[in-house]
Amino acid sequence: MPLETFKASDSLTMGVELELQLVNTYDMDLSSSANDLLELLRRKPFPGVVTPEMTQSMIEIATDVQREHGPLLAQLQQIRDTLVHAGDRLNIEIAGGGTHPFQRWFEQRIFSKPRFQQLSGLYGYLAKQFTVFGQHVHIGCASPDEALFLLHSLNRYVPHFIALSASSPFSQGVDTLFDSARLNSVFAFPLSGRAPFTLSWDEFANVYFTKMESTGVVRSMKDFYWDIRPKPEYGTIELRVCDTPLTVERAAGLACYLQALCRHLLERSEPPPEEDDYLVYTYNRFQACRFGLDGMMVNPKTREQISIREDILATLRHLGPHADALNSQAALDEIERTAARDGNHATYLRKQYAESGSVQGVVRASVDALRFGPKA
Amino acid sequence: MVTDFPFLLQSMAWPLALLIAWFLGERLHEIWQVPRVSSYVAVGLLGSLINLPGLTDAVPGLPFLANVALSLVLFELGYRINLRWFRHNPWVMALGLVESALTFAAVYLASGWFDMGTDTRLIFASLSISASPAGIVRVANDLRSAGQVTERVLHLCAINCLVSVLAFNLVVGYWHLSTSGDLVLAAFGSVHVLVTSVAVGALLGVAAPWLLRAQRVQARDVTVVFALAVVLLTTMAYGLKLSPLLAALTFGIVARERRVHLTNAQRGFGTAGDLLTVFLFVYIASLLNWADVGTGMLFGLVLIVVRTATKVGCSVAAARLSGSTERKGLLTGLALTPMSAFAILLLEQSRLYGFEPAAHVLSSMAGMMLVLELFGPVVTQRALLAAHETHVTKE
Repeated sequence: MPLETFKASDSLTMGVELELQLVNTYDMDLSSSANDLLELLRRKPFPGVVTPEMTQSMIEIATDVQREHGPLLAQLQQIRDTLVHAGDRLNIEIAGGGTHPFQRWFEQRIFSKPRFQQLSGLYGYLAKQFTVFGQHVHIGCASPDEALFLLHSLNRYVPHFIALSASSPFSQGVDTLFDSARLNSVFAFPLSGRAPFTLSWDEFANVYFTKMESTGVVRSMKDFYWDIRPKPEYGTIELRVCDTPLTVERAAGLACYLQALCRHLLERSEPPPEEDDYLVYTYNRFQACRFGLDGMMVNPKTREQISIREDILATLRHLGPHADALNSQAALDEIERTAARDGNHATYLRKQYAESGSVQGVVRASVDALRFGPKA
Repeated sequence: MVTDFPFLLQSMAWPLALLIAWFLGERLHEIWQVPRVSSYVAVGLLGSLINLPGLTDAVPGLPFLANVALSLVLFELGYRINLRWFRHNPWVMALGLVESALTFAAVYLASGWFDMGTDTRLIFASLSISASPAGIVRVANDLRSAGQVTERVLHLCAINCLVSVLAFNLVVGYWHLSTSGDLVLAAFGSVHVLVTSVAVGALLGVAAPWLLRAQRVQARDVTVVFALAVVLLTTMAYGLKLSPLLAALTFGIVARERRVHLTNAQRGFGTAGDLLTVFLFVYIASLLNWADVGTGMLFGLVLIVVRTATKVGCSVAAARLSGSTERKGLLTGLALTPMSAFAILLLEQSRLYGFEPAAHVLSSMAGMMLVLELFGPVVTQRALLAAHETHVTKE
């Protein structure tokens, strides 16, 4: 089956998907309760979309197509309140964070949709290690070529999003020393990584995809676990490197940072993307995963080393006018505070671990952060 | 060489019975998925049937050990109770209380068809409220089940046990009052047991977490401290003539509110908990006198039907209101079927404190207990499996 046609959408519209953790209130372990929660949520209109995910201890929520930070944040907050309220009725806590700090993957049940059953059959223990929680941001593109242009132009900014969203320092009960341990699980998948370099949709769909399909390795775009992938049926590109942050405020901030960045890139004032940009791609990504905002990245064009924190702050200085045009100044303030002062949520979780002395305390802090916002 | 052979056999009976129970539990679980606790009960019943020396003779210390074992379970059950949930979802609490009251009334009325004194009927009614925490917690832990049925069964089980202890002790107080006319004795037999047990449990529930924090105890050692605290609590309960079960349940509930985290690796107090569970179920089953089983069987079956009907009926009625489905309500009600150690130890304890009808009640209940001990855990297990709340979902 050939790749479906790219359905054009309004440029710079956005949508956010968050994978959230369901946690029991007793020892803070993951709770296989997605069915119960979905059953309860079905009884009232939901302010967005909620769907089951890979395992019973995860649900995914999605916003409508949004244009501005204000309404996006408002919808995310409404979704959060609805979820938290439903969780309270069922004695389930809901939390953000890219990993559950101590869940043991072999105890997670795979959700019973056929596609997921097939995945777990294929990937074995990896499928269960895939109990990680990400934020996906969709950005609408007016044409498929615009989508590929944005997808590849964003390559140098991918470390920003990893470092800013990182919220998975703990895995299997220990501090991994990574700010985003989640991405290590994602990288284990054979079709993870970056999209092949081409700026022409015609070539992407009719040459690359057709060849890949003929190998029998893939059947649809869903089989690619790329960091950024085009989503023809929505007419968007989808950024998939972010951990689910602890708060919806941070999630909205990240989405609007991406939106402003795309507006900037579409002015085409930056040098155009090229294959050689990817020479430093995996190095930069590793630095962002491992060290977060303190990581050092190499600028693919100038080949200069700069800390990810500095690079974000420098980028923000270019985005002012775009934020004004998009009405997202509050979002960029959130990003600036994160980079310059507060640090990412991985830092926050490590601090909570030091204070409470237990991984359960870390989950408790995540649960409270989603509900009330992080402690000062 | 060995000269006193009967003595040797007698002293070996217990450990051997436990070992057999354990092996049987694993084997039958593997082959037919029989809940382990049912196998333990079966071994205890067999021991009682063949009158295994050493098993059925009164061995000093065993009731105490059984109380410790069950108290650990009750502590864990209490620890799983989220009081905040009752605030967010008052229907769960209401369901527990209404169902307890109806079960009491229904069993009391039903027992009227049989020739029994009012005292005995009241005792039956109050014990029938309870569900077996040991059976339910153990089955839920074995299956690592999670979901609404599991949560509700545990919370309802705790409410059932609390109401059961309350009703039971009030009945005992009433009995003391009506037989001796001594108000002081009556008050001692009920109010003192209830109030002081709760107070002691709550006090420890505050003190233990405080100690853990002050000493900065490592997360993995928390379980040991709580286990020892439960042993201490049981000893104190014996000394002060309190209800160790009520105290342990309160201890768990209060400790949880103090937000000390138990590590999930040691659900059920780990290996020590496993060992004590084997003992508890073999012991409780061995207390049954087979001679009583036949005579009380019809009575027992009637009570089981009535008890199950009220539990299931209430649970189904409240299901949708409380945010679940009728199907899960039905399964929740069924999963509450087991009834054993809690009721029996409650009776035993009261006998120790001078409640004479206890022995008679125990023998009249033999038929009911036999069925519920042996098959109750199977019902719970099947209900949790049917609810798809267990760790492996086969489809």
